[in-house]
Amino acid sequence: MTGRHVGTSARSKEAPRHVTGRGRFVDDLVLPRMLHAFILRSPYAHARIAAVDIDEALRSPGVFGVLAPDDVRRDSKPFKPGRYAAGLRVAVPEYATAIDKVRYVGEPVAMVAADTRPRAEDALDRLGVDYDPLTAVTSVEAAADPSAPLIYEELGSNVAWEGHVAYGDVDRAFADADRIVRERLSIHRYSSTPLEPFACMAEYTPERLTIWCNSQSPDVIDEAITEALGLDRVRVIVPDVGGGFGQKIHLIRKYAVLTALMAVRTGRPVKWIEDRSEHMMAGGHSCDQAFDVEAAVRFDGEVLGLKIRDTDDVGGSVSTLTIHFTNKLNNLFNTYRVRHLRLEGRSVVTNKCPVVPNRGIGKPGMCFIWERMMDAVARELALDPVEVRRRNLVRGNEFPYTTPNGNIHGSGDYQALLDRAVAKIGVAEVRARQREMRREGRLLGLGVVIGLEPGGRNAARDMAIFPTSTQMPGAGGVEGATVKVEKNGAVVFTLGSPSCGQSHETTAAQIIADALGVAPDRVSITGTYDSALSPWGVSSSNSGNNFHLYDVGAVHGAATRLREKTLTLAAHLLQVNRSSLDIDAGVVSSRTDPNRSISFAELGKVAYANQALLPNGFEPGLQETYYHSHPHADPRMLPDGEGRVRAQYTFSSAAHAALVEVDPETGRVRVLRYVIVSDNGTLINPGVVDGQIYGSAAHGISVALGEGFVYGEDGQLLTLTLVDYGKSTTLETPPIEIEHYPVPDPFTTLGQKAAGEGAAIPSPAAIAAAVEDALTPFGVRVRHLPLSPERVWQLIREARP
Amino acid sequence: MKVPIRMRVNGEACEDDAEPRTLLVHFLRETLGLTGTHVGCVVGECGACSVLVDGALVKSCLMLAVQADGCEVTTVEGLAAKGVLSPLQEAFVGNFALQCGYCTPGFLMASHALLARNPDPTSAEIRQDLSSNLCMCTGYVQIVEAVRQAASRMRR
Repeated sequence: MTGRHVGTSARSKEAPRHVTGRGRFVDDLVLPRMLHAFILRSPYAHARIAAVDIDEALRSPGVFGVLAPDDVRRDSKPFKPGRYAAGLRVAVPEYATAIDKVRYVGEPVAMVAADTRPRAEDALDRLGVDYDPLTAVTSVEAAADPSAPLIYEELGSNVAWEGHVAYGDVDRAFADADRIVRERLSIHRYSSTPLEPFACMAEYTPERLTIWCNSQSPDVIDEAITEALGLDRVRVIVPDVGGGFGQKIHLIRKYAVLTALMAVRTGRPVKWIEDRSEHMMAGGHSCDQAFDVEAAVRFDGEVLGLKIRDTDDVGGSVSTLTIHFTNKLNNLFNTYRVRHLRLEGRSVVTNKCPVVPNRGIGKPGMCFIWERMMDAVARELALDPVEVRRRNLVRGNEFPYTTPNGNIHGSGDYQALLDRAVAKIGVAEVRARQREMRREGRLLGLGVVIGLEPGGRNAARDMAIFPTSTQMPGAGGVEGATVKVEKNGAVVFTLGSPSCGQSHETTAAQIIADALGVAPDRVSITGTYDSALSPWGVSSSNSGNNFHLYDVGAVHGAATRLREKTLTLAAHLLQVNRSSLDIDAGVVSSRTDPNRSISFAELGKVAYANQALLPNGFEPGLQETYYHSHPHADPRMLPDGEGRVRAQYTFSSAAHAALVEVDPETGRVRVLRYVIVSDNGTLINPGVVDGQIYGSAAHGISVALGEGFVYGEDGQLLTLTLVDYGKSTTLETPPIEIEHYPVPDPFTTLGQKAAGEGAAIPSPAAIAAAVEDALTPFGVRVRHLPLSPERVWQLIREARP
Repeated sequence: MKVPIRMRVNGEACEDDAEPRTLLVHFLRETLGLTGTHVGCVVGECGACSVLVDGALVKSCLMLAVQADGCEVTTVEGLAAKGVLSPLQEAFVGNFALQCGYCTPGFLMASHALLARNPDPTSAEIRQDLSSNLCMCTGYVQIVEAVRQAASRMRR
């Protein structure tokens, strides 16, 4: 449902400040008497903390405070195991720093604050910590060995959780199969590495504690500080945020608590800015996941059922024990009409960085499973891989489609996406060129995959997996927005959620402009996210693709209400029937009598300043706040008896086609073309949506090509810088081509669906498929990511006779 | 111990004292309050802190403030003349060539240096040149497009 402004690539409202250096990030802010804090981190992957000596650091020039593990234990309460830790069998207290033991390299141990940044950093060297090193457990195999050292003694095992979900009749599907196709697959540790690392600044006064923090989820920060410090007045301000991608949802709470604690202790404002290597070692990684998969198939390529055993290496924390498992429910069947599936999960703690949300959490893994299996099925049955997918896709006439686990795909045309991607990449030409190049010893490869981008939130999902959980995680979503016509006729609005670069102001202004009948350049946001001023709810989190569903609904709702109020006032002042009024360019006028018109500025003056002119019973002012919940959140907002529940609410989809060339001598993969045909529902701002698709695709491609975290056997992280880590630059990132094929969602405000992290979900599988296709002459199978030159070279070497 | 440092920044004479170990990026941000120049890695890998020193593109986390003593420095704050966006800045805005904005000042300075050297770069040349900088949001497509568009407008 487009309008005059919705559906256009309206000019960015955020960009002008950023191109002139006027962005305001946490590190740009300064408060009087502010201290600078640094964190001492564990150099060991696994060790007992024997003693901490803070005296010398406290005497260091300019130092005002030190927080040692004993201070943290005494002055704060541990975090409650949140919903990311659902399934945790014993409550494990986790504080903002390590207490008795360190469990990963980089785990925070102490904090020091001084009057200048260099002096605080100097004082770090004077903190004395004695460690008793323990054997580091750095693989799930080693961790699961009964003789392995326990990372959490209280759990009695490093296998911290085991469980499963099952839908349909999996045994019968396997009994009916013509063939069982088996694969062992894996996906590695990576991160979107936001360019601005974590940043916090806290100020404590008797009235309240205020924290400026580049968090994606202000409620996480609010709850963490409220509970850890026992405060009931916490104000969270989120200024410009230098990228989030999920990284700034969870572990950042530790640092918010430490910074707040230091502000309370010293009585001065405190700023703490993470540096790059700290973020690499302790900011959180996506999970390395191993999948043992079996597919029950018919000879014609129909997939009857899937059995998956998913082993997640969750690192040195139980606070995100099951997120990579639970998020697989969100795209459990991908785009396929398969009805029978069993997913077993195992979460193993190791001495590595904790795992956190990152561009889709478990969803890239789930898509990787499906798409690699589709290619495996095609190969084993000597069928065309695109044909095998076609045979299994949900059909166009089956929407709204309910998956066996309860997700409702509102609309879509998966067949068309696949057909268009195949046409756009030119499969026939590619195959001809591939044959030609092979004769010259060159390796061209094509991969075509399809995937979903779920959006919206429903924490009640977890109740389907953990029915005995005593903690009700909350269901559905809530988000608010306020829209106001000012006295001078300008329109301002306040969102409940922070932005991390997704152009929320631009997009919301377009919706308001259409709803109110003003030009977008007359509409602006009141400012940055501030928990004291923003109408926020549980979905006020820059995560889970919440914006498109909840913020858009809230902004639209508030603007629509305000339009009604504006018309009521105008009708009264113009002495005409309300139904004869139109609004255009901020002027309300009568269709029947063009001489009768009134501008927003005139209305604003009356609404706020002239009681005598207001209609009887009219509440003064022109401001409306609206809280939005998804009106179609039922059925199955709560799980039914079979464990069917809506994990998310909207389902964008896209087909990806990758064309690669592999250098047989070096193993280097070059992506020659990358095509995406995408259904994101109604596009509110195509320029913005394109940016989200380009960016998330580029990350997924980089993940597949080799970026990733590498640990030594002693648990030392070997990839502490962006170059060691292998982030793709402009040279490795291909020019991505997008074709939009929007099928509006029948259940959302404007027909919109999510557009954010989506292209990071299928892209690793697309590159894997393309590389495998390129390596066909060697009969190589691609089962594991990343496909770094070294790994590909090894694959070729092993295959060569 | 602090030493006096003088430089012209965005055409304005600046003078202050700093410890010799102070990085140029910290001098610009903390002493002069020019916070448009960002720190992304502090080891010269991401390019967010790129500025021009005597016309040359420099990662200001790899240079000490004392090394820039007596130099002419241009930061992102110096690109718009009297509040009017330069063609490059305008092209970044118009092409959605940024999302979170954190890497943007560095990309603008690097692109500015590229266009000063090569007013008509191909996409491949732009990609080669801007590989000095990292962006985690955009996938680079719209950045390359913006630089091409700015180049073509500036030649007119």
